[in-house]
Amino acid sequence: MPTLSALKNRESGTIHSFSDEATACKLMSMGILPGSKVKLIRKAPFGGAVYIKADNQQFAIRNAEAACIILV
Amino acid sequence: MTNISTKTLTIALLGNPNCGKSTVFNQLTGLRQKIGNFPGVTVDKKLGKLALENGQSATLIDLPGTYNLYPTSQDERVVLNILANPSDDYYPDAIIYIADVTQIEKHFLLFTQVRDLGIPMVLALNMADAAAEQKIQYQPAVIEKLFQVPTVSISGRTGDNFPQLKSALNELITKPFDAPKSFYNFSDAEQTISKKIQKDYQLDNQFQALIWAQNANRLTFLSAEKKATISDIVKNNDFNGLANQVREVMQRFDRFTPMLKKAVQRTESNKITLTEKIDDVLTHRVWGPLIFFALMLLTFQAIYAWSSVPSDMIEAGFGSLSDIVTASLPDTWYRSLLTDGILAGLGGILVFIPQIAILFFLISILEEVGYMARAVFMFDNLMQRFGMNGRSIVALVSSGACAIPAVMSTRTISNWKERLITILVAPFISCSARIPVYTVLIGFVVPSATIWGIFNQQGIAFMGLYIVSIIAALGSAWVFKKILKTEERSFLLLELPEYRTPVFKNVLLTVFEKVKTFVVEAGKIIFVISIVLWFLASYGPSNKMELAEKDAISIATQNNLSDDATADLVAGKQIEASYAGHLGKFIEPAIRPLGYDWKIGIALITSFAAREVFIGTMATIYSIGSTEDEGTIRERMAKEVNPTTGKPTYNFATSLSLLVFYIFAMMCMSTLAVVKRETGGWKWPIIQFFFMTGLAYLGAFVVYQIFS
Repeated sequence: MPTLSALKNRESGTIHSFSDEATACKLMSMGILPGSKVKLIRKAPFGGAVYIKADNQQFAIRNAEAACIILV
Repeated sequence: MTNISTKTLTIALLGNPNCGKSTVFNQLTGLRQKIGNFPGVTVDKKLGKLALENGQSATLIDLPGTYNLYPTSQDERVVLNILANPSDDYYPDAIIYIADVTQIEKHFLLFTQVRDLGIPMVLALNMADAAAEQKIQYQPAVIEKLFQVPTVSISGRTGDNFPQLKSALNELITKPFDAPKSFYNFSDAEQTISKKIQKDYQLDNQFQALIWAQNANRLTFLSAEKKATISDIVKNNDFNGLANQVREVMQRFDRFTPMLKKAVQRTESNKITLTEKIDDVLTHRVWGPLIFFALMLLTFQAIYAWSSVPSDMIEAGFGSLSDIVTASLPDTWYRSLLTDGILAGLGGILVFIPQIAILFFLISILEEVGYMARAVFMFDNLMQRFGMNGRSIVALVSSGACAIPAVMSTRTISNWKERLITILVAPFISCSARIPVYTVLIGFVVPSATIWGIFNQQGIAFMGLYIVSIIAALGSAWVFKKILKTEERSFLLLELPEYRTPVFKNVLLTVFEKVKTFVVEAGKIIFVISIVLWFLASYGPSNKMELAEKDAISIATQNNLSDDATADLVAGKQIEASYAGHLGKFIEPAIRPLGYDWKIGIALITSFAAREVFIGTMATIYSIGSTEDEGTIRERMAKEVNPTTGKPTYNFATSLSLLVFYIFAMMCMSTLAVVKRETGGWKWPIIQFFFMTGLAYLGAFVVYQIFS
């Protein structure tokens, strides 16, 4: 299944699950849950991180964390 | 809760980051705040006085923002260690839980966790004003009924409904408290473990026992033995902590999300928000970094230019105060202590206030607006390569004006290692105090000529000094990244909050608090060192100082010198005879390989107070202490001849070596005092002093040996 890293700018997806429990716990505590709709807004100017929008909130996460987010 | 009148109550403010907690705290306490550190860590501890309705006063503590009770940063560990330990000094008698009502679901995870700890709690639904703008409707009474926690809707920004919040709090603490039934359904494994821990350690609350099981090794109040026993219980029951955390978080969300739907009505829209439109520009691939650097340039310029007038006024004020004292007191040791020790020390502390105030005024506006999170997002990758954080850039740029506010500004970096590296390397960046030293010395190294008719060679050399300082900062950051070990896993999960207009009360309180902290905490150390330096420069072994004075006066009479010239000559001879002079001569063998004589040695010692003191000391040593003009001092230095070689002392090699020394050396007691305060001990400032000065020595040595 694709992960959030596979999305291009302005593409959306729905979260299926997370591949790492520690990251899952952090993300979920911030309201990024399985079933949430996520949109990749843009990549950071010098790479390394992405700007995402999940359930009307904006977040910045690193590529490593984005790769843990499995999409439907 | 029967004896409330006999003891001061502790009320805690708790909530997620960005819930508007500080604004509520400032509304509730105003200037009645005390800021310090939590023991053992450098996490801001904000305490305030809160007047309760019955006339009693309570201590209000602002706990760091956190998302859950499974911490991943220092800030969050502080919260866990207080809430999981009923015998902690700051264990709250009641909690005001702040939730941003416009993003309510996210704020309810920690809310239901704390509710299950059985601590009396009021829920404050904050940002009522923003909710009205976004046409969100909600019924606090429904939430209160569903979650069995008293609920008030407030607005921290406008101060709306604060009386209601206070009376809800009052009712909570005056009435007997019955903890509501646990919100969370324990699994069988969690039941077994938590019951066992509850029984073994006589804990009243079952969720507290589960938190102990999940966090045993992060709880500082447990003895090593207890930690081991709890870890064993967890292991023997085959309990997978992390998987259970995920399950718990999931279950809580699954339960409260439908409940909240009954109380909050929102029209979901896919409209692109204003924040998104602004971010299209501010985090743009090209415009984003450009705008950031423009803002940083403005900040740098502001500290540099705007602070010079008030700083000069403070200096001039202390100068004339010192003149008045000199004129009105007889020439005694206590006059000298008063003018050259105490007043000089105080002036040396207060002169930094404009720079600190201006930097924090600008930074906290950027922070309040929500821009800082964007800076972190943009520069995270770049700064990670050097072991730092996106926020570190702000500190590094500010360091170009002054390292003191820069070091103080690192508090918002939550990862300890990233913060420490930023603190350690920021003072390398050439600050404004190095400029007078560079100005005097650069003339001995580079002729004042132009290349291709446009570029002034000295100007280019100046730029070179700055570039070298930046390379030194980033290079040593990279080295520290490799050396320093941390257990904290580095990640970036950062909320990019909606842009908001800043609350000026918050901005001004931040400025006030930073200035106060500097004056009180770092000021003490700077003051003591000033007095020590004064003593070293004013006293000498046995009667050498008096002999030096007599000697100077007799030379002056023979040569028919004016009063000023006589005084200058006395000062010059005296500093040579002082302890500082002796120290200068003592270290001469060590600094000769760098091309320095004992006179430069004295200036190295005295300029530990601050780099620019180098110039003043050189003037005193060369008996032209009454002048303050850099040009005059440079002319005098150019005439100085080395008695053994008969050649000018300030030749190319020595001057370049001194320049290199002043780029790298940690010659600023005020910065060290601030580093001590910000790292919570003497360990890091001492390491910093030795590695920076060591690098300076090495650099100066290499340069001198090559060019001499």
